Amino acid sequence: MTPLTCEQAITRFFGYLDRALRGEELQDLEAHLAQCLACCDKLAFSKQIDDFIKRRLPDQPPPEGLVARVRRALDRAGGEA
Amino acid sequence: MREVDRVTTSPTVDDGMPADHDVRRRFEELVLPHLGHLYRLAVRLKGSAQDAEDLVQETCVKALRAFPTLRQPGAVRAWLCRILTRLVFDRHRAEPRELAVGDLEALDRFSLYDLVRDEDPFPYSENLHQDFLAQFDDEEVRKALLALPEAYRVPLVLLYVEDLSYKELADMLECPIGTIMSRLHRGRKILERELWECARRRGIVRNWEP
Repeated sequence: MTPLTCEQAITRFFGYLDRALRGEELQDLEAHLAQCLACCDKLAFSKQIDDFIKRRLPDQPPPEGLVARVRRALDRAGGEA
Repeated sequence: MREVDRVTTSPTVDDGMPADHDVRRRFEELVLPHLGHLYRLAVRLKGSAQDAEDLVQETCVKALRAFPTLRQPGAVRAWLCRILTRLVFDRHRAEPRELAVGDLEALDRFSLYDLVRDEDPFPYSENLHQDFLAQFDDEEVRKALLALPEAYRVPLVLLYVEDLSYKELADMLECPIGTIMSRLHRGRKILERELWECARRRGIVRNWEP
């Protein structure tokens, strides 16, 4: 196990949030977080931003007539082939 | 409504449109039920309803051309999503040139957490960083997302919406995992920077450069 500096720990935050860390990479970060409150706060904020953006991604139901317009686009493309 | 009337050439299939009516009917049976999912993904990637619809139409036209190559009809939705995202990503595959190396180093170091902590815009708050985020409305978040060049926005939106692993993202966008990781990192940093800039414009924080 290699003790991490805060700077090294921060570079692994996004990998941690994305569940992409494995083995020693993950263990070293968790060991650092267990004794560094400042990094715990920063990691929590990174997660808050992720969740905040996810909840606010634009979302719209498909407009009326979409299926018909897609069919026409397919017809037109068929004519060009 | 404007409709897509020009079709880009498929990089994988160039042998023309299947003319057979049965093929077209089979295609519609499989593909049309997924238009809603495709449209929602397109809105998230493109930001506007019109661009999203154009993208869905273009995706379907390209999918029909490539239909003979679909080996697993049960995986049609993933196949369609892949075509759709590649239509956006491949046009903007390269890292934007306007981001010079110096800018990238500054971007990699950018920390919204540190800036908010140092600026302390709400001195009486017990949840300073959470209260900072709560200042932004949906439209401001949408603009911040659209400020992301597609090379960053596509992998990040796919991560958020489809919950894909780095390996799955790398396969879908056909680029190395290292590229995916750096795009996700920088995409998030650009988003943080956009939120900070928005807070400056609105006077939530003082008007100084980080």
